[in-house]
Amino acid sequence: MFTYIRKRLISLVIVLFGITVLSFLLSNISPVDPAEAYASRVLKNPTPEKIEEIRLEMGLNLPLYQQYINWIGNCLKGDLGTSLLTKNPVSYDIAQKMPATIQLVALALFFIVISFIPISVISAVRKNSLFDHFVKGVSILGISIPSFWLGFLLLLIFAVTFPIFEVVDYGNIRSLILPALVLAIPAASSFIRLFRATVLSNLNKDYVVYAKARGISTNRIVWGHVLKNSLPPIVTLFFQNLGYMLAGSAVVESVFSLKGIGLHLLNAVMARDLPTINGCVLIIALIFVFCSILADGINMVLNPRMIEREEALYE
Amino acid sequence: MNKALLKNKQALIGLGLMLFVSMIAVFAPFIAPNDPNQIDTLNKFLHVSPAYPLGTDQLGRCVLSRLIFGARYSLGIAVPTLLALGTIGLAFGTAAAYIGGRLERVFLIVCDIFMAFPPLVIVLSLVGALGQGIEIILTAVIFSMWVWYAKVLRTYARIEKAKDYILASKIAGCSGLRIVFYHIIPNILPQCIVILSTGIASLILMVSGFSFLGLGFEAGTPEWGAMLNQARSSFYAHPRLVVYPGLCILITAAGFNLFGEALRDMISPEEVSE
Repeated sequence: MFTYIRKRLISLVIVLFGITVLSFLLSNISPVDPAEAYASRVLKNPTPEKIEEIRLEMGLNLPLYQQYINWIGNCLKGDLGTSLLTKNPVSYDIAQKMPATIQLVALALFFIVISFIPISVISAVRKNSLFDHFVKGVSILGISIPSFWLGFLLLLIFAVTFPIFEVVDYGNIRSLILPALVLAIPAASSFIRLFRATVLSNLNKDYVVYAKARGISTNRIVWGHVLKNSLPPIVTLFFQNLGYMLAGSAVVESVFSLKGIGLHLLNAVMARDLPTINGCVLIIALIFVFCSILADGINMVLNPRMIEREEALYE
Repeated sequence: MNKALLKNKQALIGLGLMLFVSMIAVFAPFIAPNDPNQIDTLNKFLHVSPAYPLGTDQLGRCVLSRLIFGARYSLGIAVPTLLALGTIGLAFGTAAAYIGGRLERVFLIVCDIFMAFPPLVIVLSLVGALGQGIEIILTAVIFSMWVWYAKVLRTYARIEKAKDYILASKIAGCSGLRIVFYHIIPNILPQCIVILSTGIASLILMVSGFSFLGLGFEAGTPEWGAMLNQARSSFYAHPRLVVYPGLCILITAAGFNLFGEALRDMISPEEVSE
């Protein structure tokens, strides 16, 4: 157990290091000279001497690894640089945009959790029933639907034809329901497919037969034992999705004009605002790693036996 | 196996849809009633007519012709990308599984690093650094997705490698390369096809999502996601311009998903993906 945790921690440190290197490299492959780009933004007619001066000032004359060390040092101090577009510190902008996205993702996750567990368990228990076939069909549609299109359809149905929701509606929880549904439906569909298969394979295991033989009611077997044993793969996927949704929200935010981190990143890309892109990429990747640690932790508590299996993978 | 596939209704529907869309993509110039890029500002937002079976868009272009040519872009990007991903994934996955040991552990860590970057984020940062262009989107997708394929295929190769017949062929004196190419790869090919078939659906969705965000294609390209993006400004007046391209994406993705999932059920009914 402790060897496992130690190994995970070591690989975590390496992964974190790799992530910072990769984010740094991704933003430094640009063929545009950053000193020149900065100079022509700040000054009207930058002279070559002025550009050289800026280059020295920004440390862009240093070798790449030295620049990386400076950058990572600043990041650790919470300084992600200054946005070229808004002229604010990148970290300030991110902190401004993050809450909207977090609310959106949280509501989407809520929708996912309340829907996928009951639907997939019932579907698995009543295999090949009408309900099961219906769930299978709808979930295939759910994983095939483009999310931006789903957003427009929901707007068309629930804001135009049956005006239950406002088309443009800011600031309250109601305004987040439709966007959260758009984020939730494709993810919930793939969860239902995976979870149904996991529950089915667990239902065929020996411990279910044994529990039946002991006279435990089917309901308790299914909602107690089988459910608990089916959770680990879905927990991993769930937290992976959490990280991805923060980025994937760009599409949904664009459809519903929500001012979140995804749209912020998209705008930065359109304006070629490298410090902002860099900062957002790093933050999203770090959140993703944090989520996968959380998933590992929950799985460890839920199912200690799984660690042995995982250990075997690392051996 | 093939017979079972032909008896499976779901697989047949999926296969039918796949073939239907592929045929449309191949024969687009012959099927399309009009030139997809012919701008005619006098005939904006026309309704259904014999000359324009699905009407015209905001620039007076034939919607049906644009949808038909759109199949070319969706499949033309998704299929080569997927083949590249499959090849890279198979190469790295089987190599890591077969060699094992320290190399495999390094491989897993590299996977963890790459997996922390959602494809959209990599695409956004590459487009931000290098500018627009379909080849940049392709590079970014391959760059961000290859580990997913490599990691799953490694798991399959690992399970296959642990089987007794591999040991037997080692004893019989097979070389490592021969074992990988003649034994492991052919035996994990069915699972590989399942991943590729459902993978193509998610690639189609992904690329159309990028072009919806205005990444990748030049303005005016008859690509489904891009068409949707251009139609959104007139969404409330002419919702059909948004509805049609999305429906095309849905049908194409559903075809590949139906086929892939049916195949998965057949190959490994109880298998749970890692």
